[in-house]
Amino acid sequence: MTIEDTSKSCVLELHDLHKKFSVGLRMKKVEAVRGVSLAVKSGEVFGFLGPNGAGKTTTIKMAMGLIRPSRGSLQLFGGPPDRLEARARIGYLPEHPYFYDYLKPTEILDFYARLFGIPRAERKRRIGELLEKVGLGHVQNRTLRKFSKGMLQRVGIAQALINDPDLLVLDEPLSGLDPIGRKEVRDLLVELRRAGKTIFFSSHILSDIEMLCDKVAIVHQGRIQSIGRMDDLLNSEQMSTEITFRGPDSLVNQLSSGGVEVDVLGDYMRIRLEGTTTEVLKTLLAGGAQIDSVVPKRESLEDLFVRGVVQAKDSEEAS
Amino acid sequence: MKGWSRVYAVASNTWREALRNRAFIGLMIVAVGFLFFSLALAELAVRGEAARVVLDFGYFAISLFGVVIAIVMGVILVYKEIEKKTIFTIIPKPIHRHEFLLGKYLGMVVVLVIEVVVMASVWALVLWARSAPLGMDTVMGVILILLEIMVIASVALLFSSFSSPVLSGIFTFGIFILGRLSYLVGDMLVSTKGVFVNNPSLRPLGEAYVAVFPDLSVFNVSQDLLQGVSIPLDYVIASGGYALSYIVAFMAIAMLLFQRRDFI
Repeated sequence: MTIEDTSKSCVLELHDLHKKFSVGLRMKKVEAVRGVSLAVKSGEVFGFLGPNGAGKTTTIKMAMGLIRPSRGSLQLFGGPPDRLEARARIGYLPEHPYFYDYLKPTEILDFYARLFGIPRAERKRRIGELLEKVGLGHVQNRTLRKFSKGMLQRVGIAQALINDPDLLVLDEPLSGLDPIGRKEVRDLLVELRRAGKTIFFSSHILSDIEMLCDKVAIVHQGRIQSIGRMDDLLNSEQMSTEITFRGPDSLVNQLSSGGVEVDVLGDYMRIRLEGTTTEVLKTLLAGGAQIDSVVPKRESLEDLFVRGVVQAKDSEEAS
Repeated sequence: MKGWSRVYAVASNTWREALRNRAFIGLMIVAVGFLFFSLALAELAVRGEAARVVLDFGYFAISLFGVVIAIVMGVILVYKEIEKKTIFTIIPKPIHRHEFLLGKYLGMVVVLVIEVVVMASVWALVLWARSAPLGMDTVMGVILILLEIMVIASVALLFSSFSSPVLSGIFTFGIFILGRLSYLVGDMLVSTKGVFVNNPSLRPLGEAYVAVFPDLSVFNVSQDLLQGVSIPLDYVIASGGYALSYIVAFMAIAMLLFQRRDFI
C-alpha cells in the first residue's frame, strides 16, 4: 500500500507500519499490523474503519507513541513523532478511557492542562468551558469513581480538547455512549470540523464514519483494504432499484414465474432489481398495482466494507 | 523550567493520590499507634531501661513502616498506571517518559517525607514523655532512615517499571535484606581469615556483591543512638551522597527500561 498523499499539509503520515507481538509462554509472534500506510491532511476528517481486532487501536497507539513499531516510520506535523512540540498539538482519546478515579473532573483536566504548560487562569477558563461543552458542568464536584461509562467518555473527550489541538486522534469516540450522547458527540465532531480541526478517528460502526468523514481507510487483519475519499471509494453508479408496491396476490405469482423475486411485507411488496426496470413496472401497472416508491440504490460503505473483507478472505484462501 | 513543571504536575498528583488513599491513611494510623505502644512496652521494662525501650522501638518502627510504605507504594506506582490504563492519556501528552517516571518517584518521596515526619514527631513526643535523649542526633538518625527508604523506593520503582507488583515486592525486599547484610560481606573481604581466604575463587563474587548492592547498614544508626554516640553532620551528608548515587543509578536503569516499553 502506498502513501496516498505526501503534500506539506500532511499532519499525520504512517509509512509501512508493522507491529509484531510475542504472545503466551512460547512467545509466539503475532503480527497485529502488517504494513499500514496512510496520510491525513490538514482539515480532513479521516475515518479508520475496521472490525474488532483489525489492528486499528494498535496503529493508533503507534501514532501516539504508546507502542513502538516493529518496522516502518511515522511523522507528525512533518517531523518525528516524539517531538514535544508535535505532541502539544494533538488531542488523543483512547478506546475506553481510564482516569485517576480519586480526582474530580476539574482536577483531572487541570492535571492534563499542566502537562501542556497552560497558565493557571487560562486552565480555569478552558476547563469550565469544556465541561459545559461535553455536558459535565453539573457534576464538577463529583469524583470520577462515581461516573458512568458514558460520563467517563465525555471526560475523555474534554481532556483530548484541553490544549485546543490541531489534530484530534479519537479511538472509538462514540462507544459507550447512549443514543443522545452519540448524537451530542457527533455534533461536537461536526463543530470541530467546521472549526478547521483535523480529526482522525477509528470506529467499527459504519454509519458514524459515513456520516462524518471526508476520507476513509478500511483496515482488516492488520492491512489496509481500501483507502481514499468517500466519494471515490463508493461506486457512484446505480447498483440496483428497489420498488415498493401494493396489489393483488396474483401479481406475486405472475412476477415469480417471470423470474422476479418478490418480498411480501404485510400489505406491501418489495422487489430489488438489477438492470432495467421498465418491463417490471409495465407488468405491475397492467396488473393493477399501486406503486409506492421506486428507489435507486447505490453502494454504501457497508457494501464496500463487506466487499473488502470478502476479497481479503478470498485472496488469503487462494494464497 | 517547563520540564520541571511537568515533573511537578506528575509528582503533585502522585502525593495527592496517596493522601486520598484510605489504605495509606490507615497504615499511618497503625504506625502512629505502634509508637504509642512503645510506651506500654516501656512500662514492662527493667527499671531505668524505659528510655532505651522507647528509643530503640521508635527507631525500629519508623524504619519498618518507612520501608514497608516505600516497597508497597513503589511496586504499585507505575504498574497501576499501566494496569489501569491511566498512562494511555499521559504518554501522548508533551511529556518525556523519563519526566513521568521522575515525577512519580519525587511524588513518592514527598509521601515518604510526610510519613517519616509524622512518625518522628510522635516519636519525639514519646521520647519526651519518657525523658529519653532527644536532640540533633535523633534528627540525624531520622534523616538517615529517610535516605534509606528513598533508596528502597527507587529499587521498587525500578522493578515496578517492568515487573508485576508481587515479583517487584519480592525483589525489592530481597535487595533490602542483601543491602542490610552487605557490610558483613565487606568485613569478610578485608578479613585475614574466613570464607574468602579459604576459597579465593569466591572473592570476585563477594566483591561484585559489595559493588552492586547498596550498603544499607550505613543508614542504620540505632546502636549509636542507644549508646549516645554522636552522629556528625558530615556523616549524614556523606551518606546522602552515597544514597543519591544509588538512587540516580537505579532511576537511570528504570528510565531506560521504561523508554523501551510498549503500552498495549
